[in-house]
Amino acid sequence: MLLFDGSTFQNCSGTTRRNFLQLGAPLLGLGLADLLRMESRAAETGRATSHKSLIVFWTDGGLSQQDSYDVKPEAPSEYRGSFRPISTNVPGIVLGEQLERHANVMDSMSLVRSVHHENGIHAPSAHWMQTGYFGPTLARNAAQKPSFGSVISKSLGTRQAPMPAYVTIPKSEAFGYQGAVYLGKAYNPFEVAADPNAPDFKVPNLSLPGGLTARSVDSRRALLKSFDTLRRDIDETGTMEGLDTFKRQALEMVTGDRMRTAFDLSLEDPKLRDEYGRHRYGQSALLARRLVEAGARCVNINTGNWDHHNDVAKGLEQHLPPLDRAIATLVQDLKARGQLDDVIIYCVGEFGRTPRMNGHAGRDHWSDCFSVMLAGGGLKGGRIVGASEKWGGGVQERLVTPLDLLATIYQALGISLDIHYNDVSGRPTSIVGGGRPIQELL
Amino acid sequence: MLTGPECNLDDNSLCLLPEGMGIRAIREIDRNPAPLQYSCSAPTAFIWRTTAAGRAVFERLKVLFIIFLFCGNRATSAADVPVPQGTAAEHRIYFGTDIVPVLTKLGCNGGGCHGKATGQNGFKISLFGFEPDVDYAALVHESRGRRLLPADPERSLLLLKATARMPHGGGRRLEESSDDYRILCDWIAQGATAPRNDDPRLERIELSPREQVLKTNSSQQLRVVAFFSNGTSRDVTRQTVYQSNETAIATIDADGLVKTDSHHGLVAVMARFGEQIATFHAAVPFVADEQKLAEVQRQLDQLERKIGEAPVDRLMLRQWRSMGIVPSEPADDATFVRRVTIDICGTLPTSEEVQSYLTDTHTDKRAKLIDRLLERPEYASYFALKWADILQNRGAGYSTGKQRAGTKLFSGWIRDSLAANKPYDQFVSEILTASGSQNENPPAIWYRTVRKSPEYVESVAQAFLGVRIQCAQCHHHPTESWSQADYFGLAAVFARVGRKGGFADAEVPTDEIIFLKERGEVVHPRTGESLRPRPLGGKEFSLGSHDDPRTSLAHWMTKPDNPYFARTMVNRMWAHFLGRGIVHPIDDARSTNPPSNPELFDALSRDFIASGYDLKQLVRSIAGSYAYGLESAPHAGNAGDTQTFSRFIPRRLTAEVLLDGISQALDVPTEFPGVTPGTRAIDLPDENVAAHFLDVFGRPARMSACECERADAPALTQALELVNSAEIQRKLSAPTGASQQLVARFKSNTELANELFLRVLSRSPRPEELKTAVDFLQSEPDRVEACRSLLWSLLATNEFLFNH
Repeated sequence: MLLFDGSTFQNCSGTTRRNFLQLGAPLLGLGLADLLRMESRAAETGRATSHKSLIVFWTDGGLSQQDSYDVKPEAPSEYRGSFRPISTNVPGIVLGEQLERHANVMDSMSLVRSVHHENGIHAPSAHWMQTGYFGPTLARNAAQKPSFGSVISKSLGTRQAPMPAYVTIPKSEAFGYQGAVYLGKAYNPFEVAADPNAPDFKVPNLSLPGGLTARSVDSRRALLKSFDTLRRDIDETGTMEGLDTFKRQALEMVTGDRMRTAFDLSLEDPKLRDEYGRHRYGQSALLARRLVEAGARCVNINTGNWDHHNDVAKGLEQHLPPLDRAIATLVQDLKARGQLDDVIIYCVGEFGRTPRMNGHAGRDHWSDCFSVMLAGGGLKGGRIVGASEKWGGGVQERLVTPLDLLATIYQALGISLDIHYNDVSGRPTSIVGGGRPIQELL
Repeated sequence: MLTGPECNLDDNSLCLLPEGMGIRAIREIDRNPAPLQYSCSAPTAFIWRTTAAGRAVFERLKVLFIIFLFCGNRATSAADVPVPQGTAAEHRIYFGTDIVPVLTKLGCNGGGCHGKATGQNGFKISLFGFEPDVDYAALVHESRGRRLLPADPERSLLLLKATARMPHGGGRRLEESSDDYRILCDWIAQGATAPRNDDPRLERIELSPREQVLKTNSSQQLRVVAFFSNGTSRDVTRQTVYQSNETAIATIDADGLVKTDSHHGLVAVMARFGEQIATFHAAVPFVADEQKLAEVQRQLDQLERKIGEAPVDRLMLRQWRSMGIVPSEPADDATFVRRVTIDICGTLPTSEEVQSYLTDTHTDKRAKLIDRLLERPEYASYFALKWADILQNRGAGYSTGKQRAGTKLFSGWIRDSLAANKPYDQFVSEILTASGSQNENPPAIWYRTVRKSPEYVESVAQAFLGVRIQCAQCHHHPTESWSQADYFGLAAVFARVGRKGGFADAEVPTDEIIFLKERGEVVHPRTGESLRPRPLGGKEFSLGSHDDPRTSLAHWMTKPDNPYFARTMVNRMWAHFLGRGIVHPIDDARSTNPPSNPELFDALSRDFIASGYDLKQLVRSIAGSYAYGLESAPHAGNAGDTQTFSRFIPRRLTAEVLLDGISQALDVPTEFPGVTPGTRAIDLPDENVAAHFLDVFGRPARMSACECERADAPALTQALELVNSAEIQRKLSAPTGASQQLVARFKSNTELANELFLRVLSRSPRPEELKTAVDFLQSEPDRVEACRSLLWSLLATNEFLFNH
């Protein structure tokens, strides 16, 4: 396992990022200390080992594919729903009418319309889509596998300290399955924990707690420097060195400018902010772009709730237009900045919704066949992968599993699909299992 | 080790060692050598010639001699040896013992390649080759038989892929000139003979040498000989898979050559051929130079006179002698009182406790302190927390609050058992054999989280026997002899565990009754055979129909000759105090993962059993040992040593101890939701009491019986929590907190600074620190705020964050 496959990025010491990970395997006994040292060496050289990042729009609760990415205009009304189809800038690709801004950038996006897994309950399904694996059930719901954001965080690290590698906006959702589990707490997401659209948007962790002044922090930092003199060579595990690094990083985050700047949306042109939309989704998307520019690897924007069992049309009227605007503007903005090939945009939830509406004009949970959207990061645009049955329901062609999606994303990000991380029992566990990248998009 | 001259040999030529060694010559080196005089390694290089037909045959091979000298040292010499032609083809090739090992050695059947459950690119063989029938079918029959081409073996897909003559995701694994290639080729040419029941079976392997003292930057060739059921044997050195457990100290290449570099220490190399394993042990002493060695021994002689007769200390000393290590100096009293109070009670000493210990002039004050600490309620609380992790007393992961009931009962039962110093064998037996209502018999609550075959087997093996057997659920264990039969035989012990009451149909009931069912069986997943209950590596239990197999298991475990039970607990406690197990990691006992000090391990285990499994006595002997009282700072005589406990190994305070320590230093308790106000973190009923601080600092989710789940890996969020959390700021600025009190109590800035250091770091400030603190207090307009800043900065130091 963990084969060297040649397609790596090298830093000037001649060691590749992928080498680090492979050497980190227990067989070869490289400890945390080495890893940290190499991290800091990579940071010193200032050269990114992979320059790509991921921005996720997680549709918590389950977006209705038949009203958005996989409309069925020919179907009877109880399947079709209440929205009209619209054409896009890619001939032959049709979307739901509320994705009108998507329609203008469809050539940069691709849709996978044949995603399938086998659970219809929110939490287990969220685990499946976040980690690629089925695991917890409703009653025994503890997380078993790391989320893809944590895998990316561990495999690539941040591009630029002190920006954390993995960030959730506004906070982690997906029923608690956006965490690192056995990869270790260092790979849990950094939660913004505030609404970027709020007029007084401030990140609590980066703001001084009440009653503490910047002057006090400065004197505390100076005192710490003079008292923190325990010999560092007594610890060979790297824990002390790691904590030292993180203490410096934390103080820099709190008092320094870099993080504050990254999170300061007022530095953006108000017109661009309007274009993204003055709502949580729009400003979150803009913030995600800024965080990625500042070094983040995976920014996960949690949207919804999309669990529209009752009156799906009403629910979508509230949520879909702002999501449409946020995603489409992000695509355009990244394109304008020449960054679209460096950032993957991924819209996904735990499942889709029933093709046939229920008695409350709503749609229920549906995992047999649903859609996700992928754009940027060098992935091909304007493509449709797979198809659902005539009126929705099952997969008509090209079944795609949750692990196939992760394999596609990891490959596009430059993460080796051969990586295995040890689980709690020490068993090497593949990051993609049996998943295969979707070649049509690569 | 000495490297002799390289020489070319004819069949009967002589090879002489350098002059002055006083020894003998060697001849006929490719025959079985006379033991104890010299031995010949496996070939380390092959010298080939190409025949007119274009086929490569090997002509000569290079070997290393290992010559055992009279003085007990060894020398090596290298030689080229002519090889009689035609040997490879003459021997009939068996699939199971010739072909599968090649697939294993080349890595084809590894977990990352074709051995994983889903195979790779449509080709799947059994993991590590433990199921030859499956492998044969995959190679010969699957994929319309196109993988092998007996008419033209070299054009078989298998060989084209492995040599990367056709694109192969795994790259080039095999050289056309290698004998692995040759044997695969010959087997195909012979018609790809199928494995048969009467094929010779592998019976054992012999590894030589078994142990060796090595110098730095030296090498040692290993040799592995396999013995088969038909009475034959052959050298399988190059078909054996090797793994070093300390690659910093010694590496081993694919051909069995062990190499050391500049590091010192103990190393074990596992050798696996088929399902047989063997281990090579090497020590690379810290001092090789005679003069330095004499100096080290002189220092150790002095130490010997100092440390007295305690067996633990004598055995430590013996290892230091053999490794040429001089341990660090003993830690000072202030460091010791903090260290041992944290390790026994999970609690910081108060400034009064520190001062009274420092002024105590009795010579036995360390032992007295340990005795006092063992009688404090915090001892039981702290170790109950450890056991609640191991026994997975889990509150989270259940969807209703009702299902969570019971965790408090179980943690209370554990605490009471420890406080009463219940013998450890009894403690474990009560859990394993628990029956009845979980409300009335709290140890039965163990069966609430542990409910399925894998959970029974893995929890019992890991928690009580120190064995990681998980791998054997699906395949033969790759680094140990455990098979699926071992795994499911242990599972069968629990096959008759019955449950009733509560929500019997729900996945997780509230209060269940545990009872012995009339029947229940476990079948081997591959053979389908029903397995009788038996312990790991033992014989089937003889059981009447009313006998509970769990009782037999508990008896087997707690018999004095059990190879795992007492040792696991001794190792666990040793690691708790010394920062690393004698077997490391602590719950990974294997013949391939040997103890660093076997005599010490034996002595401690014997004493523990003889004491009647007395846990407090075990703590006394470990915490009272000379090694536990050493400084953590290394010096020239032991720099780089991580294995012989020649200095104290520092570790970060665990989440609960850290939070309680901060609360104690600032004199403001943590407010946990849903528990009695004032409850300390080490006393929480389960891990599901919300506390962000604890989660960030590595409180485990209790998903397994492995202590490794409690992580001390550093993270940015931990640093943010320390430098910028509202929680610490709240405790710092509470009107009833330490700053307000101390400022009122100490008018003198010197006394105030002294108290702050004692309270946080359990020591007095050094002169330069005192000056910094006093200057700061004087320069600040607000003395209370200044005091807060001092406390904050002391709490953020590594000296506070670590037990050192």
